[in-house]
Amino acid sequence: MDRTQALLNTLYQEAELLDEGQYRQWLGLLAEDICYRVPVRVTKERGPEGGVSGVMEGMYHLDEDYTSLEMRVARLETGFAWAEDPPSRLRHFVTNVRIGDPQPTPQGEESAVRSNLLVFRSRWDRPDYTLLAAERRDVWRYSPAGWRLARRTVILDSATLPTHNLAFFF
Amino acid sequence: MARIKTGVSPRLNQMLEELLEGIEDGLVPAWIFNDPELFELEQQKIFSRSWVYMAHESEIPQAGDYVLRYVANNPYIVVRGEDGAVRALLDMCRHRGMRVCRAELGNASHFRCPFHGWTYRNDGRLVGVPAEREAFGPGFDKAEWGLRPIPRLEVFDGMIFGNLDPQAPPLEEWLGEIRWYLELVTKRSPAGLEVLGPPQRWVVNTDWKLALETFLSDSYHTLMTHRSLIELGIAPKDAKYAMYGEQIHIPGKGHGSMVVGAPPGAKLPPFWGYPEEMMERSKASYPSREQFETAKETRILLVTLFPNFSFHNPIRKPDHKYQGTVPMLTFRVWHPLGPGRIEIFSWALVEKDAPDWFKEKTRHSYLRFFGSSGTFEQDDTEIWSHVAHNASSSQGRTLRLNYRMGLSLEPDPNWPGPGVAYGLNFTDANMRNFHRRYVEMLLS
Repeated sequence: MDRTQALLNTLYQEAELLDEGQYRQWLGLLAEDICYRVPVRVTKERGPEGGVSGVMEGMYHLDEDYTSLEMRVARLETGFAWAEDPPSRLRHFVTNVRIGDPQPTPQGEESAVRSNLLVFRSRWDRPDYTLLAAERRDVWRYSPAGWRLARRTVILDSATLPTHNLAFFF
Repeated sequence: MARIKTGVSPRLNQMLEELLEGIEDGLVPAWIFNDPELFELEQQKIFSRSWVYMAHESEIPQAGDYVLRYVANNPYIVVRGEDGAVRALLDMCRHRGMRVCRAELGNASHFRCPFHGWTYRNDGRLVGVPAEREAFGPGFDKAEWGLRPIPRLEVFDGMIFGNLDPQAPPLEEWLGEIRWYLELVTKRSPAGLEVLGPPQRWVVNTDWKLALETFLSDSYHTLMTHRSLIELGIAPKDAKYAMYGEQIHIPGKGHGSMVVGAPPGAKLPPFWGYPEEMMERSKASYPSREQFETAKETRILLVTLFPNFSFHNPIRKPDHKYQGTVPMLTFRVWHPLGPGRIEIFSWALVEKDAPDWFKEKTRHSYLRFFGSSGTFEQDDTEIWSHVAHNASSSQGRTLRLNYRMGLSLEPDPNWPGPGVAYGLNFTDANMRNFHRRYVEMLLS
């Protein structure tokens, strides 16, 4: 299997781990120097260049490194993390995957990967659910053990979030 | 018992009597957390007559800077004019009602309506009307057609408040003695505070009073709601850590504060764990010696203003492995959207003259524990939403919930600050005080 196909498989494998709450294994897909960010997005008028609007610098919904992500995972394992205990039924739909050409870097070969994401979340016995759409702008790094996520910026398609917390991962 | 005025249905009338009678006995009926008729009465009696927090001055430092904010269900452009004055203008064209502001924040000298093109300066004056003479004739006076300003607007130490009631008392009178506690944060540095970016905004299916109660008074919930963080060593090992503090309420106003020190035996740095240079600066900055002495012993400070503003200022660190302490400060508006539904506006703030490294780290201390993804707050919103859901059920709504904690406590005569203080933070005193004020406003 070539590296591009392996990277695509890794994206789907990651989605499976997040759907099934296998968060320890998910941490294994992350580079130790990961930068994982979900910026706050606001309504803004169209800029002269067009493009994505209202992605704010400086404030985030999540701004994580490996240590803080590990802390969030450890919290979910305590049995007292009520926000996700009972766990939500989550489904990560990953589409529109665009894989950039691998580039050599001091840390290894890296590929910029953009993908669209739709997260379905259902809790308790109620029929209602939450949908969150986003684009993920990733950098994946190749290592002998496989591709590892080095950077992720999640461009949410909501200004005001339609869900009561972000107790899951994008 | 005919205390209640006309305009309220007999059903709601009876329910409010029940609420009023229960408060002194520490009983609060669950229906107040999810009732459509009560929601409408709150909008009219409370949110149309109270000083509501809108923005911080540091969000709009330059002439023309604006943010879009809400009071009750009214959208306001909070904008700094070319004259430096802060105004709040109803985002509704005086011509045919379209919104004139197309962003949540930005900088603009003018707001032009996309409907027919009426154009307003950022002080609200109407300055442009397409084909003015042909369309409206010589008698048309633009001065009569400016954007409608909020009836009242006042600023306290950078905090911008609006009030829909032209007859409302001045902000200073409204705040009363809670100022002493607000100042522990607003006057901690002579430079004042600044926001770290725009607020996070998210919706929760709950009632604004449930969210507010947690920040106003509920030190008791930390041991169970936030047990995951005690297990991880993020919160102090002593699960009763939030009990060792002072709970203070301002009678007649509805405001309250919790001032929590170090649990017995815990070695925590003074002054929330802020850098020493910040503590030194505060000595000259605080209006009184008592405030400095109190601040020195404080590790967690919460202040809630009636009706729907809170801040939370705890000692913290960016993650569980970080050596040292980096406290955080968050401002909140618990904005009611409908019965059983709120929007939370959550800002992180820091002293303007804090060291740069600290500003970066305090953002992390905030994001990882509070706000939309905060590991403390995730569990709060989960729980608040279930309580509000239960409060709408036909059996659940009639339950009288227990607000009896600390009913027999005597006030602490030695507390240096104003208000009624209790030396044990496991008490519902602040909530009982809030509900007294709440019913009083609903009935007046």
